[in-house]
Amino acid sequence: MPELERHEFDVLVIGAGGAGLRAAIEAREHGVRTAVVCKSLFGKAHTVMAEGGIAAAMGNANASDDWRVHFRDTMRGGKFLNNWRMAELHAREAPDRVWELETYGALFDRTADGRISQRNFGGHEYPRLAHVGDRTGLELIRSLQQKVVSLQQEDFARTGDHESALRVFAECTVTDLLLDGDRIAGAFGYWRESGRFVLFTAPAVILATGGIGKSFKVTSNSWEYTGDGHALALRAGASLINMEFVQFHPTGMVWPPSVKGILVTESVRGDGGVLRNSEGSRFMFGYVPSVFKDKYADDEAEADRWYADPENNRRPPELLPRDEVARAINSEVKAGRGSEHGGVFLDVSTRLPAEEIERRLPSMHHQFKELADVDITAEPMEVGPTCHYVMGGVEVDPDTAASSVPGLFAAGEVSGGMHGSNRLGGNSLSDLLVFGRRAGAGAAEYVRTLTTRPVPPEQALAAAEHTALVPFSGASGENPYTLHVELQQAMNDLVGIIRTAGEMERALERLAELRRRAEAVTVEGHRQFNPGWHLALDLRNMLLVSECVARAALLRTESRGGHTRDDHPRMDPDWRRTLLVCRATADGVTVTEQPQVPIRDDLLALFEHTELQKYLTGDELTGRSGTGS
Amino acid sequence: MSAPAEEKTASGSRGSEPPVPDGAITVTVKIRRFNPEFDDEPRWDTFEVPALPSDRVLNLLHYLKWYVDGTLTFRRSCAHGICGSDAMRINGVNRLACKVLLKDLLAGGGKATTITIEPIKGLPVHKDLLVDMEPFFEAYRAVKPYLISYGNEPTRERIQSAADRERFDDTTKCILCAACTTSCPVYWTEGSYFGPAAIVNAHRFIFDSRDEAAEERLDILNDVDGVWRCRTTFNCTDACPRGIQVTKAIQEVKRALLFKRT
Repeated sequence: MPELERHEFDVLVIGAGGAGLRAAIEAREHGVRTAVVCKSLFGKAHTVMAEGGIAAAMGNANASDDWRVHFRDTMRGGKFLNNWRMAELHAREAPDRVWELETYGALFDRTADGRISQRNFGGHEYPRLAHVGDRTGLELIRSLQQKVVSLQQEDFARTGDHESALRVFAECTVTDLLLDGDRIAGAFGYWRESGRFVLFTAPAVILATGGIGKSFKVTSNSWEYTGDGHALALRAGASLINMEFVQFHPTGMVWPPSVKGILVTESVRGDGGVLRNSEGSRFMFGYVPSVFKDKYADDEAEADRWYADPENNRRPPELLPRDEVARAINSEVKAGRGSEHGGVFLDVSTRLPAEEIERRLPSMHHQFKELADVDITAEPMEVGPTCHYVMGGVEVDPDTAASSVPGLFAAGEVSGGMHGSNRLGGNSLSDLLVFGRRAGAGAAEYVRTLTTRPVPPEQALAAAEHTALVPFSGASGENPYTLHVELQQAMNDLVGIIRTAGEMERALERLAELRRRAEAVTVEGHRQFNPGWHLALDLRNMLLVSECVARAALLRTESRGGHTRDDHPRMDPDWRRTLLVCRATADGVTVTEQPQVPIRDDLLALFEHTELQKYLTGDELTGRSGTGS
Repeated sequence: MSAPAEEKTASGSRGSEPPVPDGAITVTVKIRRFNPEFDDEPRWDTFEVPALPSDRVLNLLHYLKWYVDGTLTFRRSCAHGICGSDAMRINGVNRLACKVLLKDLLAGGGKATTITIEPIKGLPVHKDLLVDMEPFFEAYRAVKPYLISYGNEPTRERIQSAADRERFDDTTKCILCAACTTSCPVYWTEGSYFGPAAIVNAHRFIFDSRDEAAEERLDILNDVDGVWRCRTTFNCTDACPRGIQVTKAIQEVKRALLFKRT
């Protein structure tokens, strides 16, 4: 392949969202030559869409907060399926990452005494989310982008080359990872603009590609979220865990059809917004599960007192973790108490003065005014669940973000374990920073310890090129968009928010059929900026990852977090000890059971014994001492 | 004029019938297209598109790409006005395609509606609605768009009063979509001008109480291609999808230069 463009780096980061940029900055600071490759323009990653804030127990709003409380909330939110070490590192390090972001220049809303302000969010015991209005993700990305620019200008001053230590390849897609034996040797991809192929030789690759939401019809996710990193990891021989857990955010827009799925931030509820059904009832009081009874109010009076006096009142049930709220909305709509367009009502207009709403929730105010012609200061919003986040991802070492494949690392949404079966709002942006940094350091350290450098084998390059060109010779005449629409419909209908064995078996049949058809899909035109071709390649990833979701979901015969089985509605402590691990084979995906690593004693001791009884088996509790009894 | 639609459908690769929602009306969409492989000059393609008044221009473009012409090229990402990928000239005005509703473009009095869509002006066109953003980002990088401070870093956060934070709130809303810069008549004719977006991003740091490099940035913007090129036409302010008072920000930078105070 004489025309192949070749580059060599020490660390290649795939994805330029929060995790990817933080990883790249860290690798560069460790003195290794680093590149970031991303599908969009630099600075446009999905992270910009995060609205509410970054969860970090800085204690600025309530001095009682500390990492232990954050750790407890995270484990509860994930129904104790979380990788406890990741949850621990995350809770301990999140404050430092926020303060560090502030030194990069990030703007934050401030308290009266000038410190970073923190807001309430679902599942967090104290106000914990550092934020900038409702555009926190945009500010996070911009701050990291600015940091990259400043490092590049430092490098220019030192070497005369802006890109001597850190280079960004924007609008470039990686289609395959390349292995030398069992070690990562690089990545193969194409420039979206020219269609020309490019080889990155690098002994370490950090996946930071985000999630999989574009496999579902109703989603808050952007076009990039086609499960690329999940699929690249699988094909390179790494394992994925927790793929059955998909978060449906309770509040997406439901009307008009063109904006269905677009996110309505949880901050609306954090700042006082309430959910009502078509009968005007605040239905969430009927949906507080027993494990949360002692933390959430029974009646409106107590719930409303909580905003002013959180010490002496329990929280409003609108602030339950997302899985609980999404299921409740789903039940209300199914019971015939939904809104005209199949959602429920989210009302902040009767809860806060108009000017306060415009100040605290400016983006939401604009979004509804412009897209739905609804004035949220005067009338309620119509909302319903939307596919938002995948808890599952690459199985990694908590401390270094290393996968089981030497040289392959993963951070952010593409990694699995941190959030267990359900992620709390605000824990995503902190996850990106904590584990992005750790992945950057882990990869740099790995490169330093290498004695020989892996080399991408030429036959692997030829195979990667062949695979990428297949859609131009497809014979079926079928359009990749048709297949994409059918995939989204199947995942939405059959592996969605409420699941049954029969439906998931049908989903697997549908996926097998779509996979056959995808192999023969036809794209028109040439390689130069050809969106049809790009989708045909993304489709391969979406189908592989969707199969992981469906297979794992079929096997897990319990309901927990972002996995609700109508035919197995109870949470089962035995299943808490079991992870489902997905691996790719020549014909598809295999799923195996793997025991969960037991939680360290001193972390277990942070919980009351009575709470642990709700989640752990008798065996696990014997000989362990929670506080109290 | 509508030949592309018919040809593509006939070719078979767009075989499935496109869905037409209840209540859809048909509008004419005229798109300025350019394929560097075949075209010497840009050309206009015209399509008939069934759409709901509540649809956004982005939905119309998706319809065309998914069902009529799979090679139609444009950028989009978040689809609700926060990533800043889909700035384009819609009926002669720079807008984000994901934030313009069809009902606001409909011709009154039962007349047929035609929507024209062109790439943003002043940047080289790569293909169709997709332009080379590099000159735009080059200007952005040139104003040192990052916090510069010379003292010891704090162990935790720097303290910033609500009033100090408010001082530069407006210019931190920028999404780098280039709608302002490519609506500026000065930028169209003198591409070396920094353009409004770069000045907005300099403003963000010049007026940040934590930053100590206002003088460095003011020197950069005092350059022959800096703020003095601005002729206060307000196109940028009108074009900004985030409602940033762009012209005001430029004026504040000019004033800071005149009076050397931030």
